[in-house]
Amino acid sequence: MMMDIFMRRQALILGTLSLVTIVVLWQLVVDFGIVNPFFISTPGAVWQEFLVQLNDGSLLTNILATLYSFALALGLAVAVGIGLGMLSGWFQDVEAALEPFIWFKYSAPTVAFYPLFIAWLGYGTPTIVAIAFLFALTPIYANTLSGIKNVDRDLKRAAISFGARPYDIFFRVALPGSVPVIVAGLRLGVGRALTGVVVAELFGANAGLGYSIAYYAQMLQTNRMMVPIVAVILLGVILTQALSYVEKKTDAWRVTHDN
Amino acid sequence: MAMVATSARDTGKTGTAKAWRPARSTIVSIVSVAVFFILWQVAPDLGWVNGRFTSQPSQVFLAAIEVLLNDDFFYHARISLTEFFLGFALALVVSIPLGVLLGTSQTARYLIDPPLMALYIAPTLVLLPILVVWLGIGMASKVAVVFLGALFPIVVNTMAGMREADPKLIRAARSFGASRLDVFVRILVPGSLPSILTGIRLAVGRAVLGVVVGELFVSQAGIGYQLNTYGSAMRIDRLLVYALVVSAFGYTLTVLVRALEGRVRTWRPE
Amino acid sequence: MAEIEIRNLGIDYRKPNSDELFAAVDNVNLSVGEGEFVSIVGSSGCGKSTLLLSVAGLVKITRGSITIGGKTVTGPGPDRAVVFQDASLLPWRTVLGNVRFGLEMQRWTGGDLTKQAMSMIKLVGLARFADYYPHQLSGGMRQRVNIARALAVDPEVLLMDEPFGALDAQTREIMGGELLRIWESDKKTALFVTHDIDEAIFLSDKIVVMGRNPGHVKEVITVDLPRPRTPEILDSERFTEFRRRLRAHLAADMAGMHFMEEAA
Repeated sequence: MMMDIFMRRQALILGTLSLVTIVVLWQLVVDFGIVNPFFISTPGAVWQEFLVQLNDGSLLTNILATLYSFALALGLAVAVGIGLGMLSGWFQDVEAALEPFIWFKYSAPTVAFYPLFIAWLGYGTPTIVAIAFLFALTPIYANTLSGIKNVDRDLKRAAISFGARPYDIFFRVALPGSVPVIVAGLRLGVGRALTGVVVAELFGANAGLGYSIAYYAQMLQTNRMMVPIVAVILLGVILTQALSYVEKKTDAWRVTHDN
Repeated sequence: MAMVATSARDTGKTGTAKAWRPARSTIVSIVSVAVFFILWQVAPDLGWVNGRFTSQPSQVFLAAIEVLLNDDFFYHARISLTEFFLGFALALVVSIPLGVLLGTSQTARYLIDPPLMALYIAPTLVLLPILVVWLGIGMASKVAVVFLGALFPIVVNTMAGMREADPKLIRAARSFGASRLDVFVRILVPGSLPSILTGIRLAVGRAVLGVVVGELFVSQAGIGYQLNTYGSAMRIDRLLVYALVVSAFGYTLTVLVRALEGRVRTWRPE
Repeated sequence: MAEIEIRNLGIDYRKPNSDELFAAVDNVNLSVGEGEFVSIVGSSGCGKSTLLLSVAGLVKITRGSITIGGKTVTGPGPDRAVVFQDASLLPWRTVLGNVRFGLEMQRWTGGDLTKQAMSMIKLVGLARFADYYPHQLSGGMRQRVNIARALAVDPEVLLMDEPFGALDAQTREIMGGELLRIWESDKKTALFVTHDIDEAIFLSDKIVVMGRNPGHVKEVITVDLPRPRTPEILDSERFTEFRRRLRAHLAADMAGMHFMEEAA
């Protein structure tokens, strides 16, 4: 127990130490003239720029724009992914019918079809949402499918022995049993939806973190560019951690039975 | 152990015919793909959709022949492949030793874990614009993007593989007088191989994505460049040919790594 | 008339990855009277679980018939309830939720579900643990929940498939006593599969000894030890005599010898 606390504290101390070291090194290599600040900016300059973008509201606007597309895309992916995943997990024929397309989706980088979406939907939110939707769909679908399909045989048999109908088995055994797997799929989906939004915004948008990264890059303004880059990384970490937390909660009953 | 007649799936399969017949799921899959292609082919002809936006399988097929014969296809493919393999090779060289270090040294793990995890979770593709600023619009920036995309999955999975090693096995080996090196070579490496391959498989996906995104973002040549060109020219047929080439490439590599993974994993229970 | 009547029962399985059939159970005849506690013992692979699950209606019958109270078994029914091995509790439901589960599945109409479930939880001695999840309980407690779930639907026949198979020897003995106490409260017809000889003798009115290849009934032994039984009986001379007879049967089966012993 004491050891555990010590270990955790050690992890925290060393982790913080490493982040601080990175920031200090970053500042020093510029101060000592080893690297031109044009390329990597400096922590101080990024902080200044952060305050500027915070005060003129552009940072918030961009974050909200990205989150808006993200929420739309994730919502769609959750609805379609869980819906189709449940159908496929329950009806073998549906799974077989969708499988070739899912295999294709697994291996094809969705972005390769980006120009196609531009042709269909034009530049802007619809294309961004469509790309991010396709990014997030696969893990959500795949996890829901496997959760429903691999319903615990012992539990299914016990339910049947009490006269459960297929309807009961789906809603009372397969679905609740799949919740942890589905949430794990959501966690993956969240990360991929964010990647999808930001990548699509890099290519063409009029707001959003990806857009502002690409915009400042074109202006060759490294200081300004660093602010949305850090924002995206933090957003990714926060969203994924939040889902990991939910995952642990829903997974609480899954402690292994050992005797 | 008892077989349980629990659902309609188990029933309806009677008889003892020895002749090979395709499984029902195979037939359903084939029918489903066939229906998709037929719909795609006839929908524009019947005026259900605008063929200018969807193209047709027959057109894509013809475009594929054209592209392969005279579209500098191999020139662009070579550029993209070079970017891919250079970036990937660099990633392998860096990530596996790094993963081994992190998996075997707790101090190193505590030091590097927070930034590493942040970059593993966060979309590394956001670094693309800054890489372009640093390295220019040529191949170097794509190599870097591939490198960054492939790096983290391999590091994280190598680390996990090293840490997964069964402490009981290590203790047993130690009891027979194995040195640290022995433990590493005979227990940690074979034990973590499946996990490393999983990392490589994930990395393949991210690396292919990196090449395409990098070239779509800004480039003068490569498959992504061609995708952009035909996208803006509304040549959907050729656009699809290039997109399919990328997909086929990603698919083939993934299947290869998966097969390797399967072979390495055979001695392991699920 | 017998409560459970098994006539010329045969069950074929398909061998994995082939179309060949093999008989898991063949030519089984067995009658169990109302209120009787009958154990089925035999070495592994003798089809004792298959036999029990076929009475539960969970395994398809190839030949012969099974009737319960005169009605032919075609599938699971509310007249029977099964106590399974360890892993069959819903891990995301509490003890109460799990005991309610069977009632919910049967669309129970005999009054308040929770009240019925709670009274069974009390019967198995888990009243304090009604809000616990399975992973918070010990193996023995989980099997009490399993028994409560089966009893809650008030079946005519209680079927138990090695319910204590996953427990350690000591817990197993305690659970055997507990099961007997619970069973004696209303003496339901019970069919109990086990590979533990002492457990079978301690609990049963009759013991069905099964042999392998294909699974068949070798002998039915009547255990006429007086009830109610206490652990002291385990050391009695008559108990030891039953143990010796059963051991001889099972040892013969282990050695692959198929001889019918007609001991007195």
